[in-house]
Amino acid sequence: MNRRTARLLVRLYPRAWRERYGTEFEAMLERGQGDFQTFANVVWSALGERLFPTVPDSNTGPTLFQSWCARAPWAMFGIAPLVLLVAAYFAACFILWSGWRIFLPGMETPFAARLHGVSILYFGVGRWLYFYAPVAIGWAVAVTAARQQSRAIWPVAGLVLIALAGGAAQVQTYRASDGGRVSLDFFFGHTVHTLVLFAVTVIPYLILRIGRERRVGV
Amino acid sequence: MRSTRHVVSETGDPEAGHYSDPPLLVLTSLAGGPKHGHAMIEDIARLCGTRLGPGTLYGAITRLEQQGWIEPLRPEERRQPYRITAEGLRVLRAKLTTLHKFSKAGLKRLEAV
Repeated sequence: MNRRTARLLVRLYPRAWRERYGTEFEAMLERGQGDFQTFANVVWSALGERLFPTVPDSNTGPTLFQSWCARAPWAMFGIAPLVLLVAAYFAACFILWSGWRIFLPGMETPFAARLHGVSILYFGVGRWLYFYAPVAIGWAVAVTAARQQSRAIWPVAGLVLIALAGGAAQVQTYRASDGGRVSLDFFFGHTVHTLVLFAVTVIPYLILRIGRERRVGV
Repeated sequence: MRSTRHVVSETGDPEAGHYSDPPLLVLTSLAGGPKHGHAMIEDIARLCGTRLGPGTLYGAITRLEQQGWIEPLRPEERRQPYRITAEGLRVLRAKLTTLHKFSKAGLKRLEAV
């Protein structure tokens, strides 16, 4: 493998790891074959090291975020994701409401119209937030909790809350005399949707947790 | 040490006889004397036919060093040789003994089939 590629691959690893093993690892990569299998192996290992670092960074202590995860996991994994989800839903509703006024004035509903040009993108962002925010936030909780080695109870509680909120949230729109109105209602009857959301977020969390334990345990 | 995969069997399939437990393979390789990364890969390939990827090898080296089962020696230019520690030897002996008992019992059962 040429020196440039080897250096590039070493840079995929976290700084602390590179400081300890970078030079020797680069020398070994230069001696070895530069085939796809080697490339994939290094990328996969570097990703694992980035997700679950085994070499602690000696230059910096725990970040504010890490110390909060350790001190108040109930807030970081239970409350904060819910607040984020509410913010995402608020943004989605605002996009729907403002898009209705900007692109579809006079229309009875913002859903039935055919969209053109930039309005597709505008409403698309809102739609993405509405449908995928619970999953994205759930995955963020899963990765963070697995990295911080938090006890399972708080992340799982957080994922349950997200699934409940995500499964129950429903956008309502209606035409009023002063223009269109958008509101978010909660209807706790969509059991399948709630269960799917929970599964989609909790399974990655479990996989990451097992992966972490396998990496740490020799 | 973690579980093992593809425990040796005498079949025509070359993949079936491979053994993959990187930390154990590294310890076994270093039991034959100090080596740097590339030499370990070659030695392990000769020992059991498994060619460890560089990322896998250094993942194992990182963990073994943290456990205190291997230690770095004086670097040779950019290469870093490692050697097994006394604790590493003790762990390796215990693991290989268990594996030996396990494989003996397994082969005995195979003979009866």
